[in-house]
Amino acid sequence: MKKHSMVNTALGSLLCLCLASPLWAAPQVGQPAPAFTATDTQGVTHNLSDFAGQTVILEWTNHDCPFVVKHYSAGNMQEQQRMAREDHDAVWLTIISSAPGTQGHVSPEQADELTASRNAHPTAVLLDEEGIVGRAYDARVTPHMYIIDGDGILRYMGAIDSNPSANPADIPSSTQYVVEALTAMAAGEDVAQSVTRPYGCTVKYAD
Amino acid sequence: MTRWITLFCALTMALWAPAHALGPGPIQQPHIEVELIAADTAIQPGQPSLIGVRMQPDPGWHTYWVNPGDSGLTTTFNWTLPDGVQLSEVMWPIPKALPIAHLMNYGYEGNHVLPLQLTVPSDWLDDRLDDSVVVDLHTDWLVCEIDCVPGSARLRLTLPVTQDSPTEDARHRDLFAQAMADQPKRLEAPARFSHEAGQLSLQIDALELADGEWQLFVEQANVVDHAKPPFFASTEMGVQIAQPLSPFLAGVPEQLDVVLVAADRSIAYAVEVPMGDLGTATMAAPTQALWWVVVLALLGGVLLNLMPCVFPVLSIKALSLVSGQGQHHAAHGWAYTAGVMVSFALLAGGLLALRAAGEAIGWGFQLQSPWIIGLLAYLFFALGLSLSGVVQFGTRLMGLGAQTTANEGLRGSFFTGVLACVVASPCTAPFMGTALGVAILLPWAQAMVVFLALGFGLALPMLALSLMPRLGQWLPRPGPWMETFSQLMAFPLYLAVVWLLWVLARQTDANGLALVLAGLVAIAFALWLAGRDRQSAGTGATIRHLMVVLSLIFAIAALGTAARQAPSTTVDTQANWVPYSAQRLAELKADPDTAVLVNMTADWCVTCLVNERVALNTVAVREALTAHNVVYMKGDWTRRDSAITDYLAQYQRNGVPLYVVYRRDGGIDGEGRVLPQVLSPGIVVQALETL
Repeated sequence: MKKHSMVNTALGSLLCLCLASPLWAAPQVGQPAPAFTATDTQGVTHNLSDFAGQTVILEWTNHDCPFVVKHYSAGNMQEQQRMAREDHDAVWLTIISSAPGTQGHVSPEQADELTASRNAHPTAVLLDEEGIVGRAYDARVTPHMYIIDGDGILRYMGAIDSNPSANPADIPSSTQYVVEALTAMAAGEDVAQSVTRPYGCTVKYAD
Repeated sequence: MTRWITLFCALTMALWAPAHALGPGPIQQPHIEVELIAADTAIQPGQPSLIGVRMQPDPGWHTYWVNPGDSGLTTTFNWTLPDGVQLSEVMWPIPKALPIAHLMNYGYEGNHVLPLQLTVPSDWLDDRLDDSVVVDLHTDWLVCEIDCVPGSARLRLTLPVTQDSPTEDARHRDLFAQAMADQPKRLEAPARFSHEAGQLSLQIDALELADGEWQLFVEQANVVDHAKPPFFASTEMGVQIAQPLSPFLAGVPEQLDVVLVAADRSIAYAVEVPMGDLGTATMAAPTQALWWVVVLALLGGVLLNLMPCVFPVLSIKALSLVSGQGQHHAAHGWAYTAGVMVSFALLAGGLLALRAAGEAIGWGFQLQSPWIIGLLAYLFFALGLSLSGVVQFGTRLMGLGAQTTANEGLRGSFFTGVLACVVASPCTAPFMGTALGVAILLPWAQAMVVFLALGFGLALPMLALSLMPRLGQWLPRPGPWMETFSQLMAFPLYLAVVWLLWVLARQTDANGLALVLAGLVAIAFALWLAGRDRQSAGTGATIRHLMVVLSLIFAIAALGTAARQAPSTTVDTQANWVPYSAQRLAELKADPDTAVLVNMTADWCVTCLVNERVALNTVAVREALTAHNVVYMKGDWTRRDSAITDYLAQYQRNGVPLYVVYRRDGGIDGEGRVLPQVLSPGIVVQALETL
């Protein structure tokens, strides 16, 4: 079963030529981000290259994960989505890599319903139930954040903020890494903390 | 009033998480029960006493160690203590490695206690009316199965303070005993770590760690890539460990705290490791003690007796010994042993001399020459014919012939020993790889000891038989069946000939093979002539002798011509491997996308061929190679190849087979992992999966 699906994964990635790096190898900050192709809840296919020239933020999510709930219940994630898209003209892609039958897996309709009910503001929600995009980025937990600049270079990967807890009361006193990174990039500066340890729930990949 | 404010705060906190519980006593929360407990029923002023946070996750659920690993969250503690009361840090018991999908977590399953030492000041009872101490804890945890639930509780422990010596609380005895048994021992040893090229390298000079299997736990979170297994290498002083760094590394502290747990969890050590330069002198020295190598060589020698090329020859000698011919059993045994030892000493001396002269050769070198292969083929063929009863040759060597005088018999026994060494040389028992590989790197005197141990091992069964004739009673009685037996034993020898010819064909080509086959016919002819009508004399006899010599000359000339034939260079288009080259291997090792499997083999190496047949060429392994993107690189040592000899030396080997796998991200300095010399598809596939 495991071997079979690995072969599938390998075949799938060959077919759509969407993997620039091997399975499970984390991408490197300062290097080109792995290219990918994925379909959103509307059935629209997105390539990373479609967004050349724009900053792209990738957010791995699982709506039942307590650490995701922490940032959505407090409005922190939605606020960052608005800030990124409105102040920085960035593209925000929320990605769900939960396999069918695991925590966080949703139908396109459920995903849209979650976006509406939580008043979220992503550019698109990508459904990656085979985990191809997640594996290309070595996304480990939810939330796990990546920022790619207009030249396709990975500028940040890691946690959403500096306090690995599930308590929303900790948010105001934490460093919001994505906000800091976007601010630095807008000012033409290097991102001070470009790699951090992501915290959260393990991404529920297909075996 | 204060209590109400506390409760109000607690209720406010409860808005974000599952009910924020309050103890004394056990608190049941989703998927976990928590409680603050003490080891004793009371505490003495001025005397440290154990208390603990008891956590009991549901079956299948777990909480986390101080470093939770790739995901998860460590349990945190916020203590409220009366003035003057002291509490140690949490004394974390050794964790379990909990693999989850492609990640690795460190934590605890089942009912367990995280112990701490509580000390009440010695004047506690003097200036207070209280006769008890109250410890408050606010703890946050994450409890996970696959999904995770964060939890939080306020726990309280009220412990009487008395001057009496405390009594153990029987309810918690086992839990505390387990928690204390699971404390790592502090190991004060010279240690340092460095980190380059995505790799954390630790060196700990403690002989306690040099042997056995260990699990590494780094206390600092986000330093190593926990899911990637560490490599362990023994050094003269202790151990060197390497593990890939975390891809999310954001800085390495000046000091790491690591815990090493024995594979059976019987013992664990905690070591403080400051940053520093790793010594290079302590790496890659042969770590096996000489006596162990000698034992291995001895065992390998004994095993050689069972090899198909040796057994037929020696079994018949053994039977002749017990059949009672000759009165000097012990003398024959020693003569035989001397023959073996002298031959081995000559062979080893030659090898070491060539080695000292800078020749890139190793054990089995004698089989890299078509000359030797051809002569061995002739010899085995002749012995086979003799056993079959077609001709009379060499039977005296094998002990079949009537031994007329004691002296002649002893000489015969000596040459049987020489013959044993010669026929054993194509067979390399699995044990011998290690022993001989190490031997070649030793000072020559020690190397000679190892080779002689090998020879003694080969001679041992026969020697034992001659010194203790009683052992012979275990063998079947001699009788007419022995003739049948000896004829039967000819067939393994013929098979050995086939195999030698096949090796020869690989070293030369079809023409070379045909020449050597013609040489075999000439040998047979010569033996047949030589065996005929010994008593005749005169011209007939002279012609006969001339013909014998001519036949032998022809056989040798045929072999000489064959040896000069260039090896055939057919390319196997079906091959899923690439030929070994040091440069190509270095490139592949540097490429982070590819892992490598190196197979060093030779056509004359039976173990190599068996491994290829039963493991490396199976569908499962071929599929795994493709699925895991592993480049299969094969080095052919059938003919002497100094590049491969150099490669073998890197792994302290000087014989084949050698199988090494290299991870795509580079192992410990790209050294790779050596696989066993006897492979199964499972071993290979498993190894490939970890790359």
